[in-house]
Amino acid sequence: MNVEHVLTTCPYCGTGCNFFLQVVDDRLIGVVPCKTDEISRGQLCIKGYNAHAFVQHPDRLKTPLVREHGELKQTSWEAALDLLAGEIKRIKEKYGPDSIAFLASAKCTNEENYLFQKLARAAVQTNNVDHCARLCHASTVTGLLYSFGSGAMTNTIPEFENADCIFVTGSNTLEAHPIIGARMLKALDRGAKIIVIDPRDTPLSRLAHIKLSQRPGSDIAWINGMIKVIIDEGLVDQDFVKTRTTDFDKLKDVVKDATPEKVESITGIKPAELAEVARVYAKADRAMIAYAMGVTQHSNGTNIVEALANLAMVTGHIGSESNGLNPLRGQCNVQGSCDSGGLPNLFPGYQRVDDEKARAKFEQAWDVKLPAKPGLTLTCAIKEAAVGKLKAMVIFGENIMMSDPDLGHVEDAIKELELLAVIDIFPTETSKFAHIVLPAACYAEKDGTFTNTDRAVRLIRKAVNPPGDAWPDWKIACELGKRLGAKGFDFSSPAEVMAEMATVTPIYGGIDHDRLDREVLRWPCPSKDHKGTRILHTQKFTKGLGTFAPVDHAPPAETPSDEYPFILTTGRNLFQYHTGTMTRRSSKLEREAPEPYVEMNKGDAKRLGISEGDRVSVSSRRGTINLKARVTERIIPGSIFIPFHYAEAAANRLTNAALDPESKIPEFKVCAADVQKG
Amino acid sequence: MREEHGNVAPVMIAKGEDPGDVRTDVPYQLMTILSNLYPWMSDGKKIAVLTRRCDEKALAEIFKRGYFDRARIVQIGLACSKEQIAACRCSDPVPSTVDIGEPHAGVGSDALSEKLMNMSSEERLRFWIYQFRKCNKCFACTANCPVCFCDECVLEERTFVPERGVPPGMSFHLIRAYHLADKCIECGECERSCPAGIPLLTFRKLVAKDFRDMYKFSPGDDKNVSPLLTTLEGEALEGDECNEC
Repeated sequence: MNVEHVLTTCPYCGTGCNFFLQVVDDRLIGVVPCKTDEISRGQLCIKGYNAHAFVQHPDRLKTPLVREHGELKQTSWEAALDLLAGEIKRIKEKYGPDSIAFLASAKCTNEENYLFQKLARAAVQTNNVDHCARLCHASTVTGLLYSFGSGAMTNTIPEFENADCIFVTGSNTLEAHPIIGARMLKALDRGAKIIVIDPRDTPLSRLAHIKLSQRPGSDIAWINGMIKVIIDEGLVDQDFVKTRTTDFDKLKDVVKDATPEKVESITGIKPAELAEVARVYAKADRAMIAYAMGVTQHSNGTNIVEALANLAMVTGHIGSESNGLNPLRGQCNVQGSCDSGGLPNLFPGYQRVDDEKARAKFEQAWDVKLPAKPGLTLTCAIKEAAVGKLKAMVIFGENIMMSDPDLGHVEDAIKELELLAVIDIFPTETSKFAHIVLPAACYAEKDGTFTNTDRAVRLIRKAVNPPGDAWPDWKIACELGKRLGAKGFDFSSPAEVMAEMATVTPIYGGIDHDRLDREVLRWPCPSKDHKGTRILHTQKFTKGLGTFAPVDHAPPAETPSDEYPFILTTGRNLFQYHTGTMTRRSSKLEREAPEPYVEMNKGDAKRLGISEGDRVSVSSRRGTINLKARVTERIIPGSIFIPFHYAEAAANRLTNAALDPESKIPEFKVCAADVQKG
Repeated sequence: MREEHGNVAPVMIAKGEDPGDVRTDVPYQLMTILSNLYPWMSDGKKIAVLTRRCDEKALAEIFKRGYFDRARIVQIGLACSKEQIAACRCSDPVPSTVDIGEPHAGVGSDALSEKLMNMSSEERLRFWIYQFRKCNKCFACTANCPVCFCDECVLEERTFVPERGVPPGMSFHLIRAYHLADKCIECGECERSCPAGIPLLTFRKLVAKDFRDMYKFSPGDDKNVSPLLTTLEGEALEGDECNEC
């Protein structure tokens, strides 16, 4: 009998907790927290404790499947890969390389994402490669690149514990990033001030010193209102603004109109309360902002992110220990899949595809001519498929038929495709429409790295064998690359892939699997003797001077009407994760949150004759779903909330695919909706 | 435990295998880890396990209920360091046999317990209400507990702990306190693994004190003392029949 405790990284949120998988003779039996891990310190959330539960579930995909006469039939890897490569070649020849799009995956490793984008760029000659970061923090990447020059958390997770003020907006931290929330609770116990601004009550807001509720879609108004108070009351960090930033005058100009009355009329926040928040934040010695989807998923998401960057710069709360602006990334490797170049405009390490020098470097490294034109984003690819311009999608580990906005439209679009290939660990709502389905190994069945939200590159280690004939995605990508006739896909391990990635990705230049086996490294880590970087922008911003963006309030794409009088906002709960592929197959998690629900305010419910537990139908201009009502005072009147985990009442049937013009992120957080009893 | 990957890991070593860089200074709850593994270890072979004083007590509770075969378990006594004793506010840190480490005296008091007992009951209630409001329902306190052994956990029973609710409410913690009252051996693993920093060991110590004062009962002290609260359903205890119930 063989018993092992295999140290690895959690496959759920972006915190990157390490734990041991308990293995007895290739059977996963449990999870033991790792007490010496710097990030998780022997603590996990309920999802972490159940991270073994789905791995050996009987539903796992075990053999390649190919659609014949309308049905998916089992076949061999040889046959499936030959067919996939043949179809890609045929479509490329007939319609050109840009008629094909690849989706990389925030659930796959850095090494795999590096190969996915290399497949698109080097093997097919298209920059059409994107992934679900488009749906979560695309606006952080564009916004913070403009403001600071780098779109990642400026500080590390442990630093939350030592902040004097933690300012949280659009993040339900205790449910979505529980072990980061735990650091905030430590700060709270120490006497730090916690401020939460959110339209919903959250477990963290209920413990906060100050909790304000804004109308969904009104964020820039209150942020500019805060900045105005800070300027008017002389709380600006003049020295920081003078020496480290540019364009402050433009900001001053735009915020002078953010009068308390005007801000209140847009946001619903009382002037005195907002002023108090501004003072507490500005006067704190060490203040950290944390934000997530509540900020980014708007049709002006980039501008909201830039507004928060303005707030951090105007007070000098950035670039030092426990001072910074921190986007909390939601997937185990969504930071890493961006770092590895799973984006249509960027090579690995945020090097632009339309920058000749960068392109020349990759052309030399890969020994192939590369396309200069930035590719399609995930959201635009769907639109192009719908009008017949995009002909093929190869999807590694994403479930777009649950995760994308306006699912009715997504369904119409993917039905138009000549080729839809899905590589995943379980059958999904998306694989139902696929022509080719390939079975992949999950995190517990392969080696590689995930980069967590605080830029720490963390190893995952193989604990058990994949089920049946499932292969790790890196091997699938290599075999496909070879069949497409491309050079540079002869890798025999993920460590070899990382070695190549490090040579072309300066921020990963010093990273290799041997080092990661011994130490925690955060990028930028440019050389083998570099210890990694905990805090960004300490002496100067990545781009030099930080830039104030003069952004102003704009209403959301859809506002309530007589027909659709509510504002629908979507999100997660603690127990389920994203499209539910993994958590809904984990009995203890499913037990806690087994069915879809809509949260609505008590007053609204009473007016409509709806009681707790009643069946209701919720509609938007795009669709209708039926689910249970959860009547609560934890959401403001006029707004409703639906978690997006449940296929039987998919919130994204309702959401609006209106896009932020710069980052192309959809407006998941605001659409107009109606609720009817029954 | 062994040093590997820049961390300290719990390990199971087969007879004759090189144990590597052994560490004994990281307080992994080995009895819980072994409890998870035990049902799969059907080969009947002996299992040696590093045993602190609290682990020894946990084993007594485990044996008492017949979860491990006593004959298979070999205890390697570990005396805790001064630092660990201070962190656990442990009054009884020395195992019956010390194989590893220097024995150190226990500490008599838990500062937080004393502070709380000097408060009015209203203040004390306010303190605990604040602490329990931080609970994020991770179930770490039960998952890592060496003496939580029920097959069906009452905390997963919807009648007592509603689904989804975060925080789960005071009853979650009170039910757990009651269920552990006659078996908690104060190892402190619940407190160490609690992401919310709820002082669960102090909570346990206060309950244990009442049990000592009122019933002269301490869990894990004597392998022949029956669990105070557990229904035995006709099962005989190992060894002498219990005379106390």
